[in-house]
Amino acid sequence: MTKASTIIETKSLIKKVTTSEGELQILQPITFSVKQGESVAIIGASGSGKSTLLGLLAGLDEVSGGHIMLDGAPLHEMDEEARARVRGEKVGFIFQSFMLVQSLTALENIMLPAEIAGLDKPKQRAQEILKQVGLDHRAHHFPNQLSGGEQQRVAIARAFITNPKILFADEPTGNLDSSNSQKVEELLFKLNQESDTTLVLVTHDDELASRCERQLRMSAGELKEETQPLKVVAGGQNG
Amino acid sequence: MKMAFTLAWRLFKHEARRGELTIILLAIVLSVASVLSLSLFSERLQQALTDRSAEFIAADSQLRSRNPVDDAWIQEARNRGLGTAFQISTRSMVFAGDELALSDLRAVDENYPLKGNIKITQQAFGEGEVTQASPAPGEVWIDSRLYQLLGVEKGSQIEVGDATLTVTEILSEIPDAGFSVFNTDPMLLMSSTDVPATNITGPGSRVSYKYYFTGEANELDDYYEWLRPQLNREVHRWTSIEDDESPIGRSVARAEEYFLLASLLAIVLAAVSIAVAAQRYSQRHFDPVAIMKTLGASGAMVRKIYLMQICFITILGILIGVIAGYLIQQAVVTLLAGQVEVALNTWYWRPLGIAVFTGVVCALLFSLYPLLQLFSVPPLRVLRKDIQATLSSRALQFVFSGSAVFLLMWTYSQNLLISSILFASGIILVVSLLGMTYLLIMLGRKLGAGSMGAWTLAWARIRRRAMGNSVQLISFAITIMLLLVVLVMRNDMVKQWRDQLPEGTPNYFIANVTESQKEALKEHFTKNDVQYEKFYPVARGRFVAINEERIRTEITKEDEEVANEGRQGLGREANLSWSTELQRGNVIVEGQWHDDWQEGEPVPISVETEVASRLDIEMGDVLTFNIGSEVVSATVTSMREVDWQTLQPNFFFVLHPKAMENFSATYITSFHLDESRKNEISRIMAPFASVTLFDVDARINQLREIIDQVSMAVEFILVLVLVAGALVLIAQVQASMDERLQELAILRTLGLKGSSIRFSVINEFLIIGTVAGLMAALANEFSLYMLQTQVFQMPFGLHVEYWAIAPTVGAVVVGLLGAIGCWRLLSLNTGHLLRKMV
Repeated sequence: MTKASTIIETKSLIKKVTTSEGELQILQPITFSVKQGESVAIIGASGSGKSTLLGLLAGLDEVSGGHIMLDGAPLHEMDEEARARVRGEKVGFIFQSFMLVQSLTALENIMLPAEIAGLDKPKQRAQEILKQVGLDHRAHHFPNQLSGGEQQRVAIARAFITNPKILFADEPTGNLDSSNSQKVEELLFKLNQESDTTLVLVTHDDELASRCERQLRMSAGELKEETQPLKVVAGGQNG
Repeated sequence: MKMAFTLAWRLFKHEARRGELTIILLAIVLSVASVLSLSLFSERLQQALTDRSAEFIAADSQLRSRNPVDDAWIQEARNRGLGTAFQISTRSMVFAGDELALSDLRAVDENYPLKGNIKITQQAFGEGEVTQASPAPGEVWIDSRLYQLLGVEKGSQIEVGDATLTVTEILSEIPDAGFSVFNTDPMLLMSSTDVPATNITGPGSRVSYKYYFTGEANELDDYYEWLRPQLNREVHRWTSIEDDESPIGRSVARAEEYFLLASLLAIVLAAVSIAVAAQRYSQRHFDPVAIMKTLGASGAMVRKIYLMQICFITILGILIGVIAGYLIQQAVVTLLAGQVEVALNTWYWRPLGIAVFTGVVCALLFSLYPLLQLFSVPPLRVLRKDIQATLSSRALQFVFSGSAVFLLMWTYSQNLLISSILFASGIILVVSLLGMTYLLIMLGRKLGAGSMGAWTLAWARIRRRAMGNSVQLISFAITIMLLLVVLVMRNDMVKQWRDQLPEGTPNYFIANVTESQKEALKEHFTKNDVQYEKFYPVARGRFVAINEERIRTEITKEDEEVANEGRQGLGREANLSWSTELQRGNVIVEGQWHDDWQEGEPVPISVETEVASRLDIEMGDVLTFNIGSEVVSATVTSMREVDWQTLQPNFFFVLHPKAMENFSATYITSFHLDESRKNEISRIMAPFASVTLFDVDARINQLREIIDQVSMAVEFILVLVLVAGALVLIAQVQASMDERLQELAILRTLGLKGSSIRFSVINEFLIIGTVAGLMAALANEFSLYMLQTQVFQMPFGLHVEYWAIAPTVGAVVVGLLGAIGCWRLLSLNTGHLLRKMV
């Protein structure tokens, strides 16, 4: 597998927010790139700016300065509508709190991005992928009828239904027990490899991070490449 | 578009099935059902009352004329499908052998009356029975007084002009007899085909022609439009039931205004509940919108999905609401059957139209701001749950909601005054409440600090959720205020109606009592245990000049009778009375009552304000009357407002007794005779045969019946509005419970005792309920002052008791609802609570 092309590239990316005490820069200028098919973990303590960075990379938030290119799309120049189009076409998401639409069934949640993107046969696609994640028997259950692990598997299925080029995952196992975490991790990396998707995940979990090809550490709004291998405590999570 | 529709339908279907839409759906159902049932019931009741009112003019509309009108006019009415009837009336002497009497002669055609009934009686002054017949040619029906005066029996012949007719019935009542104690001539009813033979309508006779019409309101309006250019104001007068100025007409008109008010308030209540529900709906969809946006949905797609959903909800709500509204109304009508007369077999499209329009406007305009908020939810919320909608302009919300309410009120009532008053009250309330909330926040800052007691928690929560609480406080207060307005208006109105006809209201009037008979009659009444009222002196005077300027001849008795049926006429023949004591129900609005007149000053006269304005009489004017061959002049020293709704003799002109000392008076008075003693009346009055007796029992009973019916209808409407209000309060508490969910879950997780949490929530609601009740009482006074003085023309008084009742009820009801909502949440275990939050 060749990892020739750069799929994510940032230059001097910064983010500022306005607070009651004035303007606050929460991301220091960040410059880095991710190659197509790569898996990258962004690790760091709470409040270090991991989720902020993920929001910017995924086009969920507006940048305050600098550049982001996402598969050739200049997110820093785009308005929300244009970014939404890019997200629909190129990006898949997995969240810590699953973020399933509570009033749609598992199958319908999975169909949702395919329908939004206007893909053919969304139901058939959803049924196939639901089978892949082992939840075909739960197709017509609503999220609150599923366990946490099942909900996250539905979320993973939803993320992959459009064959996204990039998958952003925010603490994908953060709400799960170790057994479910394990299952979800396996599934995530399996699908990632099978579909040659670029994976960018934000996590506290060093073990999960260590499964990625690269680890980047966020600290006080600064991003640095992790050069030392991560120390992993078996079965546990590292805060 | 197809995709948006599919998604919207899917979301709608699941949410409806899972009960997620219940609150907003209920709110729409409530608005549509209450508006439909109220306006349908009110229209049906109004139709029934209008029919009753129509009985007083024996038709839906009347054309009065001093000359016979062109036959083509009547033919045109018939061609248009209107029902017509005809009456000639005049005063004429009738003879029976040696006896003679001046009678109020009414000659009618076979269609008379178009509305209401003629009643006849088997014996003089006996109870009237409805008859569908009218006098046939050659027949004459005479009333009890004429029967006695002429000393005739059924089958006797009497002479009317040049014709001889046979008495066949004793007349008890005709629908449009009018209600006037000065209508002194006994009545005679005959067939109009006999009129030519009598020769009583020749030149010089004062004959009045009445043409009666009945039909649909719009047909009558069209006909009147056609007729109007041909009418001569000096000769013709068109009267409709809406012009009914009698006490009954006024009561009905006031009741209609009340229905209108109640319906308006029901609309506002429904609107408030939709606003609350829509807000809640919007907040519950922040996450799905953020998810859809994250997954690539464009703003336009999200807008389509949610607007379609609102459309589905609105359509469903309207459908259920229409069915529910119709059933509620039908159930109430069935329940009230026999007690309240309603036009049962009529379906009115107007209420349906209004209800649907209300549902649509409420659902769309009140959900507009929450929807705009929803559309503005940024996708970043998927990562940071604390991110809310970016659109948060309370001003915008108030503008949308305010304009929606005003639009609905105005459209519905077509009455800018009522709408503006209610709207202004609402604005004042909102502003005061915002101020009060600010004060609460300041107070809460002090009270909320300290140990973790239930009260401390309650205050702390009020302070922290200041903005949310202010909205809640406002909606509670508006709901309570609206309920208070409807309740107090109903109480005041029904009380005023009942006061109009207290037990023992005189049911007989007597006139033509001479000075010499007065004392004997009083004694006779006392001996016979008859309660009589004051004796008023009366003299007939011809009103001839104002400041020595002769009055135009067109001010005639006929004109005034037309304008003022139901009260005594004024014309060149006016009934003058004199007294130093101001009558009950009379209020001096200008000048001074003449009880301390001094010798040497000009002789004073007090004039009723309406007649003064009609005849351009001003303070200080000298009015001249001819009484017999004498002339009396008096100077206007006061203007009086007269409550014509009191059933007592009232006078346009009251002089000082000094002006009348040289004239012999006759007296009028009234007395009450119990139903059980009615058959004694002939015996009681026998020694005073020359005195004229009027039995107004039938009229009083009619009035009482109508007042009872209207009161009952008003009470029903009050109950409906109260139910609507209660539902709104429940919706509000329900909505606010969701917002408290997170905090409850955290407190529970932290191990705080259920009882402490429960008390803190109840205390919070108690505080909010008390403040809302207090503010509602304040706003209620303002609204009532404006409504009673500007719309209902009722006297206003402060309603001090509600200053205590409203906060107490507010605290109890809101506190109780809070407790129930809280109990429901606390019955869930912590895990469940936390899951509900996710």
